[in-house]
Amino acid sequence: MKRRHFLLGTLALVVSPRATSAETRRFRVAFANLNEEPGTWIEGLGFTGAEIRRSFELASRGLPLDLIYYDNAGDAEKALANAADAVSRGVDLLIEYNSDAAANAEIGRRLKTAGIPVLAISYPIPGAPLYTADHLAAGRIAGKALGQFAKENWSEQTPVAAILGDVADPSPSVTARIQGMTEGLRQELPNVSPIRLDSAGHPVRAEGVLAKFLGTQTRRKVLVATLDDASALAAKSAIETAARTSDCVIVSQGVSRSIHGGASEKKEIDPANRGSIVLGSVAYYLDRYGYEVLPIALRMLQGEQVPERTMTNHILISAKNVFVEYPPYDMN
Amino acid sequence: MKPTSIVASIALSAFALLCSLGVALAQADCKSLVKASPFGPDDQVGATNRITPAVTKAAAAEIQTGAVVSMAYNLVDGVPLFGTRFTKTVLTAVALVPGAEFGKNKLTYMEDTYLSQSHVGTHIDGMGHIGVQDCYYNQTPMGKFVTQNGIKKLGLENLKSFATRGVILDMVKVFQDAGKLKTNPACRTPCLDGGTVITEADIQAALKMYNVTLREGDAVFLHTGWGDLFNQFPAQNANYNKAEAGLGKAAAQWLADQKVVLVGADNWAVEVIPGEDAQEAFPVHALLLTNNGIHIIENVRTDLIAAEAASSKRATFFLSMTVPKAAGTTGTFVNIEAIR
Repeated sequence: MKRRHFLLGTLALVVSPRATSAETRRFRVAFANLNEEPGTWIEGLGFTGAEIRRSFELASRGLPLDLIYYDNAGDAEKALANAADAVSRGVDLLIEYNSDAAANAEIGRRLKTAGIPVLAISYPIPGAPLYTADHLAAGRIAGKALGQFAKENWSEQTPVAAILGDVADPSPSVTARIQGMTEGLRQELPNVSPIRLDSAGHPVRAEGVLAKFLGTQTRRKVLVATLDDASALAAKSAIETAARTSDCVIVSQGVSRSIHGGASEKKEIDPANRGSIVLGSVAYYLDRYGYEVLPIALRMLQGEQVPERTMTNHILISAKNVFVEYPPYDMN
Repeated sequence: MKPTSIVASIALSAFALLCSLGVALAQADCKSLVKASPFGPDDQVGATNRITPAVTKAAAAEIQTGAVVSMAYNLVDGVPLFGTRFTKTVLTAVALVPGAEFGKNKLTYMEDTYLSQSHVGTHIDGMGHIGVQDCYYNQTPMGKFVTQNGIKKLGLENLKSFATRGVILDMVKVFQDAGKLKTNPACRTPCLDGGTVITEADIQAALKMYNVTLREGDAVFLHTGWGDLFNQFPAQNANYNKAEAGLGKAAAQWLADQKVVLVGADNWAVEVIPGEDAQEAFPVHALLLTNNGIHIIENVRTDLIAAEAASSKRATFFLSMTVPKAAGTTGTFVNIEAIR
């Protein structure tokens, strides 16, 4: 018995310092954000760089990570300089959110040389795991929701459909969203081909182009898929002005703070507003990127294998689930 | 809006809510969602069961000088409130009208009417305040016990006395001493910034600072400095309501494990806001109130007792707080005093 205790005690002495060291090891992680310029929307979805950064600040509270923040300011040269600074500081890992492919390739090379792992957000870096939104899937959810609504409520007629927003944006994310919307819609309504209404990303123009379109479709039900929440609110305004609320519905993309609020701060998507013509918006959770990305970073730092690509789990947020997905805290 | 309209509006809203609750919340299995009370299946008292005569007698030893320190804010127009919450009193002073006096002794009188939400100012959250689906403290299927005028179980009338020992935990000093205080620029005196998680280690450090060991039945108060924003009402109301430093879940569980009877703080929710998990709503409320029957006191004035503790190096006091027997209510504003 005594010998057993001695052996156990010796084992504990040998093992516990290592275990404690592993448990208490803190890592220095650099996060280079896409663009924190006030008023700049990230991925055209109504979120600011500050919101994304804040999500990293909040998500890191319970993790053994000390973050160093950089703002790439939407500039490739700045991104390269930030990466160089992160290398000089000897960080344990770099989280890079930068849209310039050439700069990303160079950042990947430099960090590899320095022996520092990289985790990319939205835009690939050779050899680095990627966390990204699934724009195609998000678009499909919106198209499908509109199609299902039409089948359930307007089964006796074929509606027309429009995709509203900065539809001329050539970026792969917008192209994928539009493709997804079209596919989702056709999955439910094979004979409907959405037309594209270009607002160039301006809500006021969105209201105008939709108003004009509604004027050409006076006897038809209209399904509107918008590329962002600001366009959805503009579309709603156009529909109300045209007195067409009984034959138009909208599904948006983003779920930014412009379209959902809290218990006191009422916005369009709200449990008390179930009759809204804005059926919902597809969540991208950019304001929670920190909560999604930092656990992946921690797994990398702890030597675990992580998937080459991790995608956002998009869902449709409506009056029915908005407070479940976005619990309000403006009450107590 | 006229007072009558406000009352009618509230009644209609409450009725609509109850109707929708009845439909939506009737199916929950409360035994799988909420812990059973350690005080038995019929318990509606919660953690105040722990305030036994022995606990009160031991707490009385804290009264050494008789000095009384206020721990409540005045409830006045302009203090931070949320959204549609309101607090208003209407003074009835008819007898002051000349000729309306009573008797040859010309007696006059005045009364008030409260038109107030109960969760305003320095207030207690009762066990009818927070649940998981329709399951409340002690696995109570609350959907069966709600009426338009109140709750038939877990109302404040069930609570026992709060005559116990109070402990002030000066989190500002803990964070200052640890060199990790990140204050908020709107605070005139040092405060923990919004979103700062108070951990079990932080609480242990606060207890160690004044050499206190928590006892079963203690009432614990956190001084975060955030109350300075309350004190600046109405100028800093928006900042006050936007966020706060507060308990993380692990720290709350540790306090529950110490069998305390209440946790109060100089902020509006006691727990950290924004919370540790962006997809969870007020998890510390559910942990303390729903699962452990531990009451939460919000908007507590802690700066005076924290200063008193710092100067005397004593963080304990006799807690003087009574809760009105307002049957069927989920909370009420309270007065709190620390007797030294």
